[in-house]
Amino acid sequence: MENNLKMKDMILTYIIIGIIALLGNWAGYHVSPIKALPGMLIIVLITIVGWGIKKILPINLPAVIYISLIALLVTTKIFPGSEWITKETGNVNFLALATPILAYAGLSFGKDLNQFKKLGWRIVVISFVVYTGTFVISTIMAELSFRFIGKF
Amino acid sequence: MSAKPSMFSWKVHLFVLILVCVSELIGVHELGLGIGTITLFPMLYALIIGSIMSIPKLKILKKKEMQISANILGISFMLFIAKLGTMMGPQLMELFKSGIPLLLQEAGHILGTIILGLPIALLIGMKRETIGATFSIDREPNLAIISEKYRSDSPEGRGALGVYVCGTLFGALYLSLLTSVIAKLDIFHPLSLAMGAGVGSGSMMAAVTGTLVTIYPEQAGTIAVFSGGANLITTLLGTYICVFISLPLTEFLYNKLNPILGRKHRNEIKNIKT
Repeated sequence: MENNLKMKDMILTYIIIGIIALLGNWAGYHVSPIKALPGMLIIVLITIVGWGIKKILPINLPAVIYISLIALLVTTKIFPGSEWITKETGNVNFLALATPILAYAGLSFGKDLNQFKKLGWRIVVISFVVYTGTFVISTIMAELSFRFIGKF
Repeated sequence: MSAKPSMFSWKVHLFVLILVCVSELIGVHELGLGIGTITLFPMLYALIIGSIMSIPKLKILKKKEMQISANILGISFMLFIAKLGTMMGPQLMELFKSGIPLLLQEAGHILGTIILGLPIALLIGMKRETIGATFSIDREPNLAIISEKYRSDSPEGRGALGVYVCGTLFGALYLSLLTSVIAKLDIFHPLSLAMGAGVGSGSMMAAVTGTLVTIYPEQAGTIAVFSGGANLITTLLGTYICVFISLPLTEFLYNKLNPILGRKHRNEIKNIKT
């Protein structure tokens, strides 16, 4: 669906989510929305620029990649103003941004419920096994290699 | 999906706003259960209360509004990814120093679904659905790969779709609870768990990272940086590795292991003998 989205709709949606997250940031982490506003604007801007690049470039990479790389780039020490960007975005708690996402996820729950009821028990069991596998085995690999390089 | 997906519903946004504020005000709580302590935090309340509100029988939301909510979800997590990116920039050297763990954890993410999933799927008697179900965590890009190779109404396609549906409904909640339980065992360093969080799905990654940060608040910054780093690599390499390594490997292992572990085959062999 990524390619079908209208830029105007996306920008408006990001602004609305930004406002919700600012209020959550205030309720949960006691940062006033005015103080966190510049940081939130930067985050929204990075996201929109990431989308813009995706739409322009002919390579079919997910937008997430561009967004991650831009956010990473503008906060590395060599980028002009990176200290200010880091400081301002630091006022937005990343959990405050995650809560609205899971609220949207929750509200879409009923959509797939009928499809779920049709699934056999085996596929349900295997789903949980698959998610356990990817999480636990990569954790084990990380732990072993961290110990190997002597980080802890 | 030729029509432009709609992203507009004031009702959905208003519900999210209320869910967020209520959830943040409830705050963090610990729940002691037989199997361990479970950490409850705002994200989970928003997810659980939202899910309950979305149950069709309650008639609070229309099907169309649920679809809009899913459409918004599909782009909303990018704000979270952008925020994680801004935390990664200043720590870039730290990430480079952990290059080996970052690569090896990625192997764990890619192979983890197959190593654990494939044998168990065969043991409980699944047939070719196994291939679609266990070659990856079956998010949207993976579904596209499967339907391209096998068609979406093939057994392989049904296996992938089944895991997709379960993951969409319960993945974030399940992984959050699993993270609570595993973290409390105290076997793994928080940073290893943080890397484990980079499963390549926005909401699941947010849920696991959120759980870890709530359990280890003093390491919040580094946890976010490492889960962000792991997730970026999973997203970057995921699709290619899926096509060129995971899927052929899963098929190969299925053909090798099905005669040994598969239920039907064992019965057939028995029948031939008797």
